[in-house]
Amino acid sequence: MSDALLPLLIALPLLAAIFPLLFGLRFERVGWPVAMATSLSVAGLAAWLAWAVSPWSGGSRRFVHDLAGYPAPYGIELVGDGLSALLALLIAIVAVAVLVYARTTGPDSNAFYSGFLLLTGGLLGMALTGDLFNLFVFLEIVGLVSYALIASNDDPRAAYGALKYLFLGTAGASLYLIGVGYAFVATGTLNMRDMATELAALGYNDPLVQAAFGFILIGFMLKIAIFPLHTWQPDAYTYAPDTISAYISALVSTTAAYALIRIAYDVFTVDFFAANPLITDAVLLVASVSIVVGSLLALLQTDLKRVFAYSSVAQFGMILAAIGLQSETALFGAVIHLVGHGLMKATLFMGAGVLSSAYGARTVADYAGLAKRAPITSGMMAVTGLALVGIPPSVGTLGKWFIALGAVEEGSWGVAALIFISTLLTLTYIGRLLETLYFNPLADTDDAAVAGDATDAVDATDDSSFVADGGVDRVATERVVVVVVLALSTVALFAAADPLAAMLDPVFGRFFQ
Amino acid sequence: MSSDRLDGDTNGIARQRPMYTESQVIMTTVKAVIPFVLTYGLFITFHGTSSPGGGFQGGALVASVVLMIAFAFGIESTREWLSNSLVVGLGTVGVAIFAGIALVPMALGENFLDYTAYYPVLGDTLGLKEYEFVKYGMEAVEIGGIAFIVSGVLMGLFFALAAGVTPPSGTASDAAEASDSDGETDVDDGETAGDTATEAGENE
Repeated sequence: MSDALLPLLIALPLLAAIFPLLFGLRFERVGWPVAMATSLSVAGLAAWLAWAVSPWSGGSRRFVHDLAGYPAPYGIELVGDGLSALLALLIAIVAVAVLVYARTTGPDSNAFYSGFLLLTGGLLGMALTGDLFNLFVFLEIVGLVSYALIASNDDPRAAYGALKYLFLGTAGASLYLIGVGYAFVATGTLNMRDMATELAALGYNDPLVQAAFGFILIGFMLKIAIFPLHTWQPDAYTYAPDTISAYISALVSTTAAYALIRIAYDVFTVDFFAANPLITDAVLLVASVSIVVGSLLALLQTDLKRVFAYSSVAQFGMILAAIGLQSETALFGAVIHLVGHGLMKATLFMGAGVLSSAYGARTVADYAGLAKRAPITSGMMAVTGLALVGIPPSVGTLGKWFIALGAVEEGSWGVAALIFISTLLTLTYIGRLLETLYFNPLADTDDAAVAGDATDAVDATDDSSFVADGGVDRVATERVVVVVVLALSTVALFAAADPLAAMLDPVFGRFFQ
Repeated sequence: MSSDRLDGDTNGIARQRPMYTESQVIMTTVKAVIPFVLTYGLFITFHGTSSPGGGFQGGALVASVVLMIAFAFGIESTREWLSNSLVVGLGTVGVAIFAGIALVPMALGENFLDYTAYYPVLGDTLGLKEYEFVKYGMEAVEIGGIAFIVSGVLMGLFFALAAGVTPPSGTASDAAEASDSDGETDVDDGETAGDTATEAGENE
């Protein structure tokens, strides 16, 4: 009965999304408890699914649930295997972490928690579906809710960022749909498994098949935010409320990248890449440009959230490069980097959110000397930043190492060199942040003076008890605790290479037959 | 975008709210038309499984009845007459019914949305054959799920748009919250806010 977990994982958050609104008619502030209870249940179910598909449970390694009982090529099926279970677990864990963080920061409306649950349900749907059109439906749910959540900030620039994301995101989803339409015309099926066999029979050099892949690839590049299609992403991440920046940066592009991996390797398969060297080279070229330009742009930013946003462009460039390399090692690195990047970006955005709500810091220069005032948060941001650079032991090391190793194995020395250069550039902008945090004296601005006066009286060392900018309220302890736990998890996952490999083994065995 | 539109209206709310003018022609026409539109909407909803139409189209027609009443008799008074609870209730209860119909077969040991799972339980009571459960199950989703959701969301959207944008400093109005009963509605809130931001940019 483990396959029953799949529809439950998707239906539970979507159903729970109505309760904040419904109870909101009677009571104030019911959104958080509902969202938290749901996310904890989803996390439990996701952990159960991950255990069920893992080699240690001894059961089946792949679960299929036919919706309404119609068998696969005709009906929609949900699929849980090692890869999708891993992603579902990541989504559930980040959702719980973000909710803990959101308890005191808000946005404190019941509508926000409804949107949050809808987004969680949509992301889980993308991770678990085995049908191309169903994937589009969930892609749209995720997109639509993301636009609304980003626009929920009071800052009018957030609305502008959301509008830009709305236009580009809708274009991306439409391109994906056109690609699926071409593939449907070519094969007459929408089921991923079935389409893989049909495409193999049709031949991978059919222009219709090539066009289908091209549209799907560009659609997802828009959704993932690969340079030059990344323009929506910095504004969206920067002006969204901190809670939502952390959630969206950690999961939305990640799930889209997962979907691209799934389609590239499960539907089109490595044989498609082998038959179309031009498309493979184009993927590698775009990915390489994205790695370098994303890192350089991150280096040029002054706003800290913008630095992290452009850094995502570079990190997803690496993942796209791993997709184009057709190497099992590189793809393993890509999956690790997907998970690791999600956790690291969530930590960094939350850490930046803690410091900005306490001291009003937005630009990198504003963070001068804050390590003395907020040693725990700063320390954890430093740990996570170094993990993002790829300093061992951290999950960032693993991901980059396996992608670079795969590139070397395939003889793509250029990609390996670019990953090295990008690492140096990452070190530069993270190093600049660390220098500002630890070695620059406190800036003598009004903000710092206000916060300083208030803080000196209370205490200057205990991280959790400093007074917020303007002295309105304190930063809640659990926000710092979440940052600490996530930061330590990025370090602890360094040891997880072998279990992850065991978990992904059957999936990769199918990808690289 | 002339700047005088903002005169004496610092938060830009009043200018977005059109004045209501009472018109005998519109009120009489709407009174004459709405029974037919409502009937047609219900017809389309109920015939969803056996003829063109369905919950989505029917729900939209039912919501259009409320829109017409609002245009004829004033949006504010219509909002008070309908109350937020009804609008939110329609959307949320629709989702609950849909999810309930889909999840109960799983409790009975069948697949998600598998209507035939109801046959052993309800077959004798309702006097239906097994294959008829597929038809009536779908009908139940169309009527209780989709039609409710669509009409609730459309009404909520309309009232939210009519209420204009919440000023950044104030708390969210009930109408704005009511409209957030679905992902689709969420987006349109985003669009509204986005449009306003663009307008503000042009005003500069």
